[in-house]
Amino acid sequence: MSDLIHLVDSVEDISRAAIQLRGVAVNKEMDPRTVLDLFERWAAALQGNGMEAVPGVAFFRLWLRQGTLKPILERELGQGSVDGDWREEGQAKLRVFPLGVVGHWPAGNIEIQPVLSLTCALLGGNTCLVRVPSRLLESTNQLMKKLVTVDRDGILTERIQLLSFDHSREDLQSAMARNVDGAMIWGGQEAVARVRALPFPHWTRMAVFGPRLSVAAMDAEVWSQPDERRSWCERIARDVWQFDQQACSSPQVLFLERGARGAIDNFIEELREAFRKENQAHPRREIQPALTSVICLARANWLLDNVANRAWFSPSPDWTILLGQGTDIPKPTQFRTLTVLLVDNLLDAIEKFDGSVQTLGVAIGNPEKEDALAQAAGRRGVDRIVKLGRMHVFGSPWDAMDLIRPMVRIVRYVPSRDQKIPAKQTSLSSRP
Amino acid sequence: MNVLLEIEERLRALLTEEPYRLDVSEHQAGLLALLKTELAYACERNQSFGNYIQAWPIDYQTSKRIADLPFVPVGVFKSNPPLSLVEGSEITRILASSATTGQVPSRVVLDSATARRMTKGVMMIIRDFIGSSRRPYLVVDTPAALASNGELGARGAAIQGLRSFATEIICCLSADADGNLRLEGDKLLECSKRWKDAEVLVYGFTYVIWNHLVKPLQSAGVRLDLPNVRVLHSGGWKRLQQEAVGKEAFAQGVATTFGCSADRVIDFYGMVENVGVVYPDCDQGNKHVPAFADVIIRNELTLEPVSVGQRGLVQVSSVLPTSFPGFLLLTEDIAELIHEDDCPCGRRGTAFRFVGRAPKAEIRGCGNLETRRS
Repeated sequence: MSDLIHLVDSVEDISRAAIQLRGVAVNKEMDPRTVLDLFERWAAALQGNGMEAVPGVAFFRLWLRQGTLKPILERELGQGSVDGDWREEGQAKLRVFPLGVVGHWPAGNIEIQPVLSLTCALLGGNTCLVRVPSRLLESTNQLMKKLVTVDRDGILTERIQLLSFDHSREDLQSAMARNVDGAMIWGGQEAVARVRALPFPHWTRMAVFGPRLSVAAMDAEVWSQPDERRSWCERIARDVWQFDQQACSSPQVLFLERGARGAIDNFIEELREAFRKENQAHPRREIQPALTSVICLARANWLLDNVANRAWFSPSPDWTILLGQGTDIPKPTQFRTLTVLLVDNLLDAIEKFDGSVQTLGVAIGNPEKEDALAQAAGRRGVDRIVKLGRMHVFGSPWDAMDLIRPMVRIVRYVPSRDQKIPAKQTSLSSRP
Repeated sequence: MNVLLEIEERLRALLTEEPYRLDVSEHQAGLLALLKTELAYACERNQSFGNYIQAWPIDYQTSKRIADLPFVPVGVFKSNPPLSLVEGSEITRILASSATTGQVPSRVVLDSATARRMTKGVMMIIRDFIGSSRRPYLVVDTPAALASNGELGARGAAIQGLRSFATEIICCLSADADGNLRLEGDKLLECSKRWKDAEVLVYGFTYVIWNHLVKPLQSAGVRLDLPNVRVLHSGGWKRLQQEAVGKEAFAQGVATTFGCSADRVIDFYGMVENVGVVYPDCDQGNKHVPAFADVIIRNELTLEPVSVGQRGLVQVSSVLPTSFPGFLLLTEDIAELIHEDDCPCGRRGTAFRFVGRAPKAEIRGCGNLETRRS
């Protein structure tokens, strides 16, 4: 067990951690500028020293930069919210206050997710109780150690309790739920359903991210251009490889608008080459045996189910391309298995989306056509429409939801007398 | 010559050989050409199968080793209708795997030629372990398991496969209206008395023997007196793991109940999809591969064959089926490669030990979406 993550085995352990966090949340205010400054330094500390080996750390570094977070704060919480003061709105004054203790249940497949999740709550001035999934203990510890080095006064770290316990411990999960004012829940269907069913107090506010799946779409104009094809295929491969295609933003299927007869073979050849290259650059280090069976079975079933289907795959379970046609999204296999479906019109596929699709990665030649697809996708429940190759690059809103705002209260104050409250007078410094 | 006749002729020759006399390289070299012929035949007979083989990343016709030939994962036999290389009218029997509750069983189709080879294959293997003489056959199951027509489950298939060793067959369990199994104690004690000095063959599923024979007799304080019995069992250990009964405890418990030595209790691994092949434990506790079959233990990350001492996913092969494409099958089981040709029991070729079913994959991602919105 790492030194920053506490292995807990009793309800009392969790209650103690929650009481300490509640005390800090109630008694110590922290202005957003302090948080932004510390995050900026955390980002710098994450540069080098082998930290790049932690998947997603490049994105996280970028996320922590003031240039990223300040606009998000201002968009979500209003202009001037970085100052942490009352701001005027008509006759009233508004100010952001934290919810209190925010519980975090990150997914077990994204290394940066525990820290990413807690940054959102910290920006709102909250304290954080985080259940770190067993697979992420090492990476979370590595990332948090860097925060400790820059946060020498413990301004942020005293607001964070990282806990480790078996996910099947209902008593501990429930204890955590009972002690939080906000909950940020990330993960697959089973995990999310289990957490949502915990005995949260009636006032707990929840922000749920996932489970979803994602899709890519490319029109014939783009993929039939020999000079552009390679770069687009490399972008798809990058999106497929990252997070081993287990993330809600991972493309599971690529809808490909039909083009000139015969040209599809050229496209597939480029895609295979891109997959081979990506695999060489980012080979898998281990795999559960049952997943190897799942991949092999997906390949076989695809080809046995329909003689018109085709497939290309490595002799190992490394990567798979399944080619067919149709507008329905097949059951995702994940683990670097991309289904390419030929369609006459991309809109036909998008019109069938059922709200399960989170991200649509696009490569469309004509901007007006792309606008129309984005419009249709938004209407059909898609939360993000982004350029292929950037399907995992998130910003706010995240899954069409704000990240910071759900974990704060915006207090409205109408003074009894018609006089202005001096801006700095009511604001406390970050430390007593 | 007609391809099927050519295959048939080569199989006939293989089924007359001693099953464990070849070393690994001779064994695999002998099977490689036959497997290629069978794959080509299967591609001709079944377009879908041909589509799968065509996509295989290595051209099987030029492959130099069995490990490069296209295998199918056993899960494909859960399809309906089952994968077949024969016309419906030629199907004489369908074998179904013993799927646990809620799972879809695998189903394989047999024509008369494949069924005949299946019986011969099992007989040759078992003969090597228990001798060729016929003897009384005690089935630890109900008479319904002996039904010989239509669809046959894994338990029935195993019971049927040993019939050729029997002079008479007695089933010592019955089922009540709800299907609950009950030991017919009187019948069993009568057999024990009658067969006292005879060589006796006993077969049952592992958990059935334990739960419906050993445990009831143990609690009744009854011991049988059959010192010359051979107790064969199969079906896996999953259900007994819940009761913390391991292989050794099982063998000892069974031996005490029958009044024989523990080395007369033989566990064998088999699956309905791997037609005509079973893998009994030798006296060293290893499983061996007969002349008409092959086993490759594959590393789960690379799918390359592992070295001696390593574990991986089990690929089983059989050249015996011509009614369905069950030549090279990737199972969901894990095994360890123990020897290549050096097993002290004297059998040559690959020796392995079954470790267990690969644990269900843990999928943790936020992309894990089981149900879609309607």
